[in-house]
Amino acid sequence: MARWGMVIDLDKCVGCQACTIACKEENNIPHGSPQEQSRRREIYWNRVLAITEEGEYPTQRVQVLSMPCMQCDQAPCVTVCPAKATYRREDGIIMQDFRRCIGCRYCIVACPYGVRNFNFKDQLQEEYHRPDLPPDRASRGPWPFPQRVRGVVEKCTFNFHRIDQALREGKKVGVDVVPACVEACPTKARAFGDLDDPESEVSRLLATRGNFRLRENLGTEPKVYYLQG
Amino acid sequence: MAGDLTYTPIEGKTRGFRIMVAILGFMVAVLIASFLVMYLSGQQVWGISNAVPWGQLITFDIYFIGLSAGAIVVSGLSYVLRREEYKPIGRVAVLLGLIIFTGAMVCVLVDLGRPEKFWRLFMYGYLNNMTSMFALNSIWYGGYLLLMVVYLWLAIENKTRLAMIIGTIDVLWAVGVHSFTGAIFGLIGTREIMFSPIKPFEFIAAALTSGTALLTVVVAAAFKFTNRSLDKKVITSLGRLLSFIIIVLFVMVFFDKLTHIYFPHREGAIFLFTGPYWWLFWIFQIGMGIVIPLIILFHPRAGKTVRGVIIACISVVIGVLGERAALVIPGTAQVQQLYPGHIEGMWGAAGVFPITLWETTLTLGIVCLVALLFVLGLRFLPLLPATEAVKVPAASEGGEEALPEEKSVTEAEG
Amino acid sequence: MSSSKDRKVWRLGMSRRTFIKASAFTGAAVVASRIIKFPQNLALAAPPSETKGVITEKWVTTSCLNCSTRCATHVRVVNGRAVRIAGNPLSRVSEGEICPRGHIGLQVLYDPNRLSRPLKRTNPAKGRGVDPQWMDISWSQALGEVSSQLKSLRAKGEPHRLLLLHGLNITSDEDMIHRFADAYGTPNVVSAQAFEKEAEKLGRWMADGNYSHIAYDFDKANYILAFGASIVESEKPLARNLRMWGKIRRERPVRAKVVVIDPRYSVTAARSDQWLPIVPGTDGALAMAMANVIISEELYDADFIGRWTAGFDKYKELVLSSYRPERVAGITGISADTIRRIAREFAQTRPAIAWIGRGVAGWPNGSYSSYAIFCLNALVGSIDVPGGVMYQEDPEYREMPGVTEDDISRAGKARLRLDLSKTSLFPVAEGVANQVADSILEGRPYPVEVAIGFNTNFNMSAPGSQRWDEALQKVPYYIHVSPFISEMAEYADILLPAPTFLEAWGYDHSPPGSGFAELKIKQPVVEPLYDTRGITDIILELAGRLEGTVARSFDRVGGDIQDFVRYRTEDIIPWSEFQEKGVWVGPAYQYRKYDSVFKTPSKKFEFYSANLEAVLKESGRAVDSRLAYLPHYEEVEFLGDEAEYPLMLSTYQPLLNIENGNQNYPWAQEIYLVMHGTGWTNFVEMNSETAHKLGIRDKDMVWVESPVSRIKVRARVTKGIYPGVVTIASGQGHYAAGEWQQGIGVNPNEIIGVDYDHLSGQSSFFNTRVKVYRA
Repeated sequence: MARWGMVIDLDKCVGCQACTIACKEENNIPHGSPQEQSRRREIYWNRVLAITEEGEYPTQRVQVLSMPCMQCDQAPCVTVCPAKATYRREDGIIMQDFRRCIGCRYCIVACPYGVRNFNFKDQLQEEYHRPDLPPDRASRGPWPFPQRVRGVVEKCTFNFHRIDQALREGKKVGVDVVPACVEACPTKARAFGDLDDPESEVSRLLATRGNFRLRENLGTEPKVYYLQG
Repeated sequence: MAGDLTYTPIEGKTRGFRIMVAILGFMVAVLIASFLVMYLSGQQVWGISNAVPWGQLITFDIYFIGLSAGAIVVSGLSYVLRREEYKPIGRVAVLLGLIIFTGAMVCVLVDLGRPEKFWRLFMYGYLNNMTSMFALNSIWYGGYLLLMVVYLWLAIENKTRLAMIIGTIDVLWAVGVHSFTGAIFGLIGTREIMFSPIKPFEFIAAALTSGTALLTVVVAAAFKFTNRSLDKKVITSLGRLLSFIIIVLFVMVFFDKLTHIYFPHREGAIFLFTGPYWWLFWIFQIGMGIVIPLIILFHPRAGKTVRGVIIACISVVIGVLGERAALVIPGTAQVQQLYPGHIEGMWGAAGVFPITLWETTLTLGIVCLVALLFVLGLRFLPLLPATEAVKVPAASEGGEEALPEEKSVTEAEG
Repeated sequence: MSSSKDRKVWRLGMSRRTFIKASAFTGAAVVASRIIKFPQNLALAAPPSETKGVITEKWVTTSCLNCSTRCATHVRVVNGRAVRIAGNPLSRVSEGEICPRGHIGLQVLYDPNRLSRPLKRTNPAKGRGVDPQWMDISWSQALGEVSSQLKSLRAKGEPHRLLLLHGLNITSDEDMIHRFADAYGTPNVVSAQAFEKEAEKLGRWMADGNYSHIAYDFDKANYILAFGASIVESEKPLARNLRMWGKIRRERPVRAKVVVIDPRYSVTAARSDQWLPIVPGTDGALAMAMANVIISEELYDADFIGRWTAGFDKYKELVLSSYRPERVAGITGISADTIRRIAREFAQTRPAIAWIGRGVAGWPNGSYSSYAIFCLNALVGSIDVPGGVMYQEDPEYREMPGVTEDDISRAGKARLRLDLSKTSLFPVAEGVANQVADSILEGRPYPVEVAIGFNTNFNMSAPGSQRWDEALQKVPYYIHVSPFISEMAEYADILLPAPTFLEAWGYDHSPPGSGFAELKIKQPVVEPLYDTRGITDIILELAGRLEGTVARSFDRVGGDIQDFVRYRTEDIIPWSEFQEKGVWVGPAYQYRKYDSVFKTPSKKFEFYSANLEAVLKESGRAVDSRLAYLPHYEEVEFLGDEAEYPLMLSTYQPLLNIENGNQNYPWAQEIYLVMHGTGWTNFVEMNSETAHKLGIRDKDMVWVESPVSRIKVRARVTKGIYPGVVTIASGQGHYAAGEWQQGIGVNPNEIIGVDYDHLSGQSSFFNTRVKVYRA
C-alpha cells in the first residue's frame, strides 16, 4: 500500500500562491470576505505564510512557507474526532467525511498546524454549483465534494479523488497524476508520491536534500516535507 | 436529636416567584429563538472562529459539568457520609446537580455544528472513536445523567440505604465525569495552555469549589426566599469546606502554571499571563476564584458570618467561570509556533473572541433554563425541608450539645 | 363446513394475514436495500460517484489575458461551465505553466458584476460618484449612434479628433484598433504602455535600435542582477519567469545567483541571494559605477566590445571620470566595497544578466538609467548569447493590405498627436498616455470630440488619476468597451459590453522573454454569457456602417472575428490545427545574430547612441551634448519640497493584481499581499525607523499626503524597505461597482504627481514626495 507524501522545495517556492488558488479551484472551496478574514473564518485548504526571521534591516529574512494539511501519520485530529469523521485511510491520507462530521470542532483544537476550517455559514448555491462534483456519495466511502453545509469541518485531502481515479485508470500517481496544487505550481516546487517507494521522486528528493517537517518535536509524523531553502 | 425531616415542595404562590418564572420562561423562549437563529444561519452569528473554535457554549458546558459534579459531591456529605447537618440540603444538591448537568448537555448539544447528528456519539464499536475524549464522555455523561435521576428518585423516596449506594457510585462517577472533561483539554499536546496531566485534577478541584459555592448560595437563597430557616452552621461549615478546597485548587493551579512557565514551551504561560486575555486569568481565576474568597473565608470575623461566606461563594462562582474561560479562550487563541520567527498577518495573529449577541442570548437562555427547571423542581418536588427549625449537632465527636433552638418564621403555607 | 370466506383465504393459497406480512416484509426489504449500502473498499470506490453529474466534458485551448503575458491555457468545461484552467502543455514560453492569475480567469468569466448588454447614459452630468442613469439599448441602436458620431466627425473633415485608447487587449483586437485608426484617419491611438516600462524600450533602443522590451535568457544565466525588477512578482512574461526560477535554483547543476537591487524588500528580494536596498531613482548611477569597476579592472568581454560595439571610448571616459564607486556610494546608499564586489561577481560569473525592472523605468531618468543598465550586459558580452539578452521573435502574421485612404484620412493622420509624442516635448516617444489627459483639458493641440476606450481604466492606473476624471468630463462623446463597468466606464455615453477573454476569439503572442516566437489562440471556452460582442466584431461593424474608404479598408481581412484570426494565422499554422492545439511554437532561438540585430547607424551595439543623436538633433530639443547620447545618471527632481514632504512614495504591483482594470475577484483579493499575510486591503509600508520617528505603530490609520492630494490608509511597519521610502501596493482603491473591490484599500495613483521621462513618454510613478501622519 502506498503512503502518499508531499515534498515542497523552499528554494524554488516564490510565494506566488498558485497552489492556494488552484486548490480552491479544484475543490470548489468558497472564497471569503473582508469581514470573514478579520474574524478568521475564511476557508483555506492550502495557505502560504510569510515568516520574518530574526535580523534587522537590511539583513532580515522572510521565509515563505506553503502549507497544505500535513497528513500526519500520528494525526491528533484523528485521535480526537468522536464520530470518525476524520480518519486515516490505508494509503496515509487523512480523510474528512462531511456526512459523519457533527461539527464539534475538537479536531480544530487538536490540530497543531491550524489547517482545518469550520463552515460558519452555508455558501451561495449559485457560486458553487459544480456539475462535475457529485452531490453525494454513492457508497459509504468519503465524500468527494458534496456541497458543503454549515456546521462541518473541512481540510485538504491530498486530492484523494485524483489519486483514486488515477489508480482506477492505471495511471501513475506522482508522475501522471498529482494533486492540483502540485500541478499548478509554476516553479515546480512541489512533488507528490509514495514515500515508501524508494524510486519515487519524493523519496529521491528527500534522500538528496536537507529537509525538515513542521513541529517535528510534537511527534505527529507529518507527511509534508520541506526541502531547505 | 435531629429527627427525620419532612420535605415539601415550595408553594410558589408569591408574586416574586411568579414574576421570576415568567422572566425565566421568557428567557427560555429567547433561548429557543437564539438556537433557531444559529441553526438556520450557521455559527457565523457567534464569536467563534477558526482561531478560537470554542467559545461561550463550551465554556459554560464545562463550567456546568463542574458545578454539577461539585454539587453531587457535596450531596454525598448527606447521603454517603451521612452527615446529619447537611440533610436539609441533600436533596437540593442532587437536584442542582441534575439540572445543571442537563444545562451542560444542552450547551454541548447546541454547540455542535450539526446538532441533529449527536446520535453519532453513541455508535459504539462502529462509528464512535473511543480514543476521543468526546466519545468516551458520551459514556460518562450518559451514565451520569441516569445515575443522578435514580439518585434523586431514591432521595425523594427516602430510600436511604440505596441512596447511599447509588450516591457513592454517583459521587465517584461525578469525579470520573469531570476528570474526563478535564482530559478533553489536558491531553491536547499542541495547546500549551491546556496541555497538562494535572488538568483533570484541576478540573475536579474547580468543580468542588464552584459546586460547593453555588450550592451554598442557592441553598441560602432557596431557604431565605421560601421563609425556611437554615442553621447558619450549615453555611459556615460549607464555607470552611470551600476554603480547604480552594487551597487544593490553588496548589493545582500553582504547580500547573509553574511547570508551564519553566522550559520548554513557555509561550503558552506567557500568553496567558500577559496576553490579551490576561484578565481572565488574573482577575477572575486567581482574583475572584481564589484570592478574594480565601481572604474572606480566613478572615476571623467575616469568615464566620453567613454574609461573608455568601459573598465568598459568589466570588468563587464567578471566578471559576472565568477559570473555564481562561482555559478555552486563550487556550486556543494563542498563536501556534509553526516555524521560528514572526508569522505575518492573519496566520500569525492571536485569536480574538468577541462577545456576540446570539451566542450570549443562547448562554443566558441556557442559564435561565437551568434556573427555571430548578425552581420548577423545587415547586413540584419535595426537596426542601418543611419549615421547622433544624437542630445541628456540634462538631465535637460524640458530644451532643444542645443548641438554642432557632425560632423560625412559620408563615409558610404548608 | 367453513367457506373460503370464513377462513379468509385467497386463491393464492395463503392467508390474507400472511400475504400482508409477506408484502410488508418484502417492501421493507426493498426499501432497506435502497438505504443500506454495504461498505465498499474505501480506496477504490466505484467510478460513477466521480462522473454522475457530468453530461458533457471538454477541454478547450485558449490563452489568458489577466496580464500581458497571455499564457497559453487549456480550460476544462463541464456541462457548459468552465471549471478549471491549466497551462497548455504544448506552450514552450511557459512550458505549460500558468501563474496564479490564470486560475482567476474563472472569476473573471463568472464575475457577477459584468456588463450584460449595451447601455446608454441618460444623465448628462459626469463625475465621480455621479449616477449615469444607464438605459438599456440594443446593439444596433448603440452602434448606430456611435457610427453616426464617427460619420459626422469625418464629414467635418476632422477625423483626428477621434481618440482611441486601449489597455490590455487581445493582440488581434489591438491590431484591429490600429487599423481602424489608420483607416479612419486619426493619429491618436494611445496605449497604456507608457504606464508600464516604456522607458526600458527606449533605453534599449538607444543601444541597439530595437524599440522593444528586453527578453532575458535567464534560465541559462548564472548571475542575475535585478534592478528594480521583481522578477517573480510582476515582471513579464511572469509565468515563464516563475518556471525558469525553479530551473535556475534547483534543476541545473549550477545554481544561479540572484541579487536584487530595490528600495523595497520585494518577494523577489526575499527569494534572492542578496537584497541591496538603494536610494530610489539611483539605479543608473549604480550601473555606471559597476561599469567603472568592470572597465577599470578590465573584467569586460574585450572580444565582444572590440568587434561588435561602437562608442566604447566615449563611454569609458565618462564612466571612469565620473562614476567612481566612492562617489556613487554617496548617491545610492550602497557602499563602495559592495559596489566593487557586485561588479566583480557580475563580470566574473558568466553568463550574467542585468535585468531592468519597472523600478528603473518609472522615473524621469528612466530611459538613461535603462540604457546604463543595458550596457552592463554588453560589457560582459551578454548580448544575444545563451544566458544573455535576446532579440524576441514574434509570429509573422499574414500582412494585411494597406488601408484605403482618402484625403480626409491622410489629412487627419498628418496632424500632431494629442499625446505630443515626437514633438520637442517628447521627441523620441512612441506614446505618452498621461499627456492626453492634460491635452484634453487644455484643448491643445485641438479639442477631442469623440473618444473610445477599449479595456482601459486610466482613471485608476494613471498618475494624477483625477485629471482623467476631469478630462473625460470634457470629452463630448465617450464610448467605453469592456466586460464590466470600471471607473473609466462611468464617464461613457455609450457602454458596449465586450466578452471576457474566455469567451472571445483572437490571436496572441507573449511579450519578449522566450526569444523564440509563440503564437496562441483565443477561442471561446463557453458560449458568451451575455449579449456581448468582441472588439474586432465591433470595429468591423462600425467600419461597415461608416462606408467609404473606412469600410473598404476592412474588406479583405475576413468578415468577422473568426475569419480575421484565421486570415492572419493561417500562413503560420493550419486553422483546424490551431484551434485544436491552441499553440504554435516557432523555431528554436538562434544566438549571435550580430549581423542583423543591431539597428543602429554603425550596425553595432552603441555605447554612444547615434540613433538618439539623430532624433534629438532633428527635434531641436536642447540637450547637454556631452551626456545626452551616452548612458548616464540624471539626478531626479522630486515633486514636493523635501522639508514639507520628507518621504519618497513608491508603489508596486503584487502578483495578484489582475491587470484588466478590475479587481472584483475574491480568490485574488483574500490573499492579496503574501508578504503581509493579509488580503482585502493594501497598506502604506514603511521602515520601523521611519515609523518610530513619526510615532506610527503597525496597523495605525494614517494619512499619506502629497502635493497633489492625500489618502487615508493603514500603516504597515516593516524592516523590508529603505528608510525614508514608503510604498503602497497598487490595484486597490476601486470605487466602481464590485462587491469584492469597492471601497477596499486605496489607490496610490491618486496622490502621485504628473511627471515624465521626456525621452520615452514614460509616466513617472516614483518621484512624488509625501508626508505621513496619524489619522
